[in-house]
Amino acid sequence: MIKNHIKIAWRNLVRNRTFSLINTVGLAIGIAVFIFIMQYIAFEWGANRFHKNYKKLYRISTVYKEGNSSHYIAPGFAPLLKTNCPVIENYVRIADVAGNGIVSYLADRNSDLKSFREDKVAYADPDFLRIFSFPVIQGDASLNEPQTLALSKSVARKYFGEASAIGKVLTVNNQFGHTLYTVTAVYEDMPAQSDIKADILLSFKTLENPALRNDNDWADPKGLKSGFVNTYLLLKDNADTQQLSKQINNTVHQLQPENQTDPMVLQSFSDLHLAPSFNYPLQTFGNLLLVSLFLCIAILILIIAWVNYINLSIAQSLNRTREIGVRKVLGAVRKQLIGQFLCETFLITLGGVFLALLIVILLQPVYNDFLDKNLSLAILMQGWVWLIAPALILLGSLLSGGYVAIVLSSLNPIKTIGNKLDGFTRGISLRQGLVIFQFTVSIVFIVSTLVLYKQLGFMHNQDLGMQVTQRLVISGPEINGGKLRSQSFKNQLAALPFVQKYAASNDIPGRGYNFSADGITRLNPTPGDEKKSFSMLLIDNNYFDTYGIQLVSGQNFTANDVQNGYSNAQRIIINQKAAIQFGFKREDNIVGQKINWGKQFEIIGVVKDYHHLSLHEAIQPMIFLPAVSTGFYTIKLNTDHLQDKLNTLKNLYAKQFPGNPFAYFFLDENYDEQYKAEQKLGDIFITAASIAVFIACMGLFGLASFIARQRTKEIGIRKVLGASVLNIVRLISTDFLKLVIVAIIIASPIAWYAMDKWLLNFAYRITIQWWMFLLAGTMAIIIAFITVSFQSVKAALANPVKSLRSE
Amino acid sequence: MIKITALEKFYRTEEVETIALNKLSIEVKEGEFVAIMGPSGCGKSTLLNILGLLDDPDGGSYLFNGTEVAHFNERKRADLRKHNIGFVFQSFNLIDELTVFENVELPLIYTGVPSSERVSRVEKVLDKMQIMHRRNHYPQQLSGGQQQRVAVARAVVNNPKLILADEPTGNLDSSNGNEVMELLTDLNEQGTTIIMVTHSEHDARYSHRIIRLLDGQTVVENIMI
Repeated sequence: MIKNHIKIAWRNLVRNRTFSLINTVGLAIGIAVFIFIMQYIAFEWGANRFHKNYKKLYRISTVYKEGNSSHYIAPGFAPLLKTNCPVIENYVRIADVAGNGIVSYLADRNSDLKSFREDKVAYADPDFLRIFSFPVIQGDASLNEPQTLALSKSVARKYFGEASAIGKVLTVNNQFGHTLYTVTAVYEDMPAQSDIKADILLSFKTLENPALRNDNDWADPKGLKSGFVNTYLLLKDNADTQQLSKQINNTVHQLQPENQTDPMVLQSFSDLHLAPSFNYPLQTFGNLLLVSLFLCIAILILIIAWVNYINLSIAQSLNRTREIGVRKVLGAVRKQLIGQFLCETFLITLGGVFLALLIVILLQPVYNDFLDKNLSLAILMQGWVWLIAPALILLGSLLSGGYVAIVLSSLNPIKTIGNKLDGFTRGISLRQGLVIFQFTVSIVFIVSTLVLYKQLGFMHNQDLGMQVTQRLVISGPEINGGKLRSQSFKNQLAALPFVQKYAASNDIPGRGYNFSADGITRLNPTPGDEKKSFSMLLIDNNYFDTYGIQLVSGQNFTANDVQNGYSNAQRIIINQKAAIQFGFKREDNIVGQKINWGKQFEIIGVVKDYHHLSLHEAIQPMIFLPAVSTGFYTIKLNTDHLQDKLNTLKNLYAKQFPGNPFAYFFLDENYDEQYKAEQKLGDIFITAASIAVFIACMGLFGLASFIARQRTKEIGIRKVLGASVLNIVRLISTDFLKLVIVAIIIASPIAWYAMDKWLLNFAYRITIQWWMFLLAGTMAIIIAFITVSFQSVKAALANPVKSLRSE
Repeated sequence: MIKITALEKFYRTEEVETIALNKLSIEVKEGEFVAIMGPSGCGKSTLLNILGLLDDPDGGSYLFNGTEVAHFNERKRADLRKHNIGFVFQSFNLIDELTVFENVELPLIYTGVPSSERVSRVEKVLDKMQIMHRRNHYPQQLSGGQQQRVAVARAVVNNPKLILADEPTGNLDSSNGNEVMELLTDLNEQGTTIIMVTHSEHDARYSHRIIRLLDGQTVVENIMI
């Protein structure tokens, strides 16, 4: 029986090649998208799971009474906790990025200095490489001695090539000064699925020596005040974490009773990447919302593909009603017919799965580029995927194939043998429902895409209150810097003919502020003023001019202010937001006013508000402080012959700041980086929308061909009675357009709700407008019309004599 | 073999009720060859459908070999049908995707005959119908007469007690038509009961008895000599 089923299924598929192909391709696209998204989800799901201690590791976080949380805690607690809490087997503290700076290696006097700017340098406790599963390939896993370090394999190769790194000495120049470290271990590069990322691990013990802290006493590993390390605890088997939590809080609050309102909590390592729920208060590395959104898209597209299968299969099986009738007459019972149709579904699904795998293999590089990840089918080789994915595909085939089978097998043999389709109209409303569903999903995607791109466009085109184009930013020196060199560098910049403007500042727009501070008030403050926070930026006297930031009143800093520094000059400039926050009424009266910040500072100018950071955030009250800044040099230049100009700048930089790598970027690109997530989301939506619309159209095509066939006689009679082709096309298309209009009505509030929520992420945002729905609806209608008219024109052009005779 | 008594069948639309069979009573004995004739719409096809258990009557009784089958459910009907009744249609109704051999084999598959036995039975019946040489062809590759021979072969492969033929020669030229009628006569002579709906007086002459229907009732019965 099965053999007969497969045989006839195969012959049917071959005979209706075009239909089978459309059907298989539609399904394959759906499955391919599903597989791609499952790769991403498997990647996110599998993050950090490679650690053998995965289930026994916890991170300590503090939850503040304001509701936010931080995983940076003071390093001094960990050893105390280990002593007080016996279930703590071990701990490891990591001060990530704290060690960033310039690392150099000089093999001997005659060789060149190898120097790189490193941005994944962490201080770590001795047992780091034992507690976490990063395999050591050379040397000793311990960072027990001060001034020792471990390197990842690729960084080791960068400095030492193929030679052994063990025992070599590197110089690390960072905020803690200029320190020599001996390489004691080389470990495998940390995998992409690791949330802990470090290329260089410096022994945390080094910072115990005050001389190696460069006056940064906050970084004392015994300190209990400054939170700058991640503290991971390795617990003994079957440890009671609630009990431990209590003990930790008791210990900490005994030492610091003032922090009792800010409890410490244990974050399970398994919750480190993806939060266990949407309202999880602690910080995670991954984004549960995005993962869930992705999952929804995957499932929706898969459902659309199955729905499509149903519509196409039923349309296609019209050619087989007679066959079904004959089989019934010959004694086939429903079960056998259902078996046969399921067999066909299974074959198509199998074909779809294979085609999908082919698509995935071919498009994997494109997808990886898109996600900036290195995913492959290999990541899906996990127990749960093997369980879920086939189950889903089986369920889908059973549901869609089962529906088709039930509809077809229920046909009355007498009618089908006479080739009448009356009995076939059953389930048409369900199929219409399915088309409405497909288009609803498509329209939600289209509207979301429109809103997303509109918001992106708004952010790109919004007047930022400053100029970001044609601004080249050079990172300042970490070593061999200093006031004099900086001034000399600026003087030389000024002398270059292509440098139109230049400025130095300690931070730049799109990146951040130097620090935030409160306790800054007018001389006659009102209570509560001291709690208001201001964002501070250290700049030179060219900053406003170079960035085109407008001075509303007062004057700019002088070169003298900059040389003296803000502490001596006691002169500041503020933005309009700050003026309001201080409580000043009118800008012109502000200049010359004094504020209190430990000592008195004079406000010498007010600048117009500008978007120092992205439009996600509201403009902050800012205070600009004069300083010889060496963090970043911004140069306004024309980008013609850019390479020559860059070479000139690079030579100048190398001469002025020897040992510092020359690193530069364009401010506009850097500023746009802040919208990378939105850009990516936009790309995802446009892809999802296109796929959804494409597959939905295939389903619509199927339904249209079914209806056109079903109404052949009616069309014939109408034509005999004088209907034009246009009349007929209109007759058939109207029914479908109605479905699309229903979809628009359902989709609009859903899309509006979702995108309104999304827009709340932005302090500056567009409002969702009616024309977006109109545009999405019109697009859907046009696409649907083109799809349907292919069938309806065909039906309208058919010879009526023929269609009537067939009755 | 077949005894129907006061059989009724109505077709209803929203407003109109059409009577297809009006308290029709007929008896057919085992081994008979009966032709049913009458103008279009007289209820011939409806009768055949009910006799073939493809349709339910709305009233009356239908005894098949002494068993009341008028209200059998779908499964029982299918079971009775596949073991006892063979069908021959005007338009042959062969499945285009299957070869001659596979078309004839199909009823045996549905009755659960093992594969080796199927081959021998199909070959035997194809041989008998003289289309063995076409066994691997598809229906579209055959002439009308050949197709109807395949359809007859399919109808008899299960050795049914009853063959229902609905205008079996309607789509054939006269020489092919005669051939098919000869086949049916042969089958009848070997003991198969045949009920045939036809418009053709010529074909009807092959039967033992002609039942003429008008408006769902028997108007006259002719016994052929």
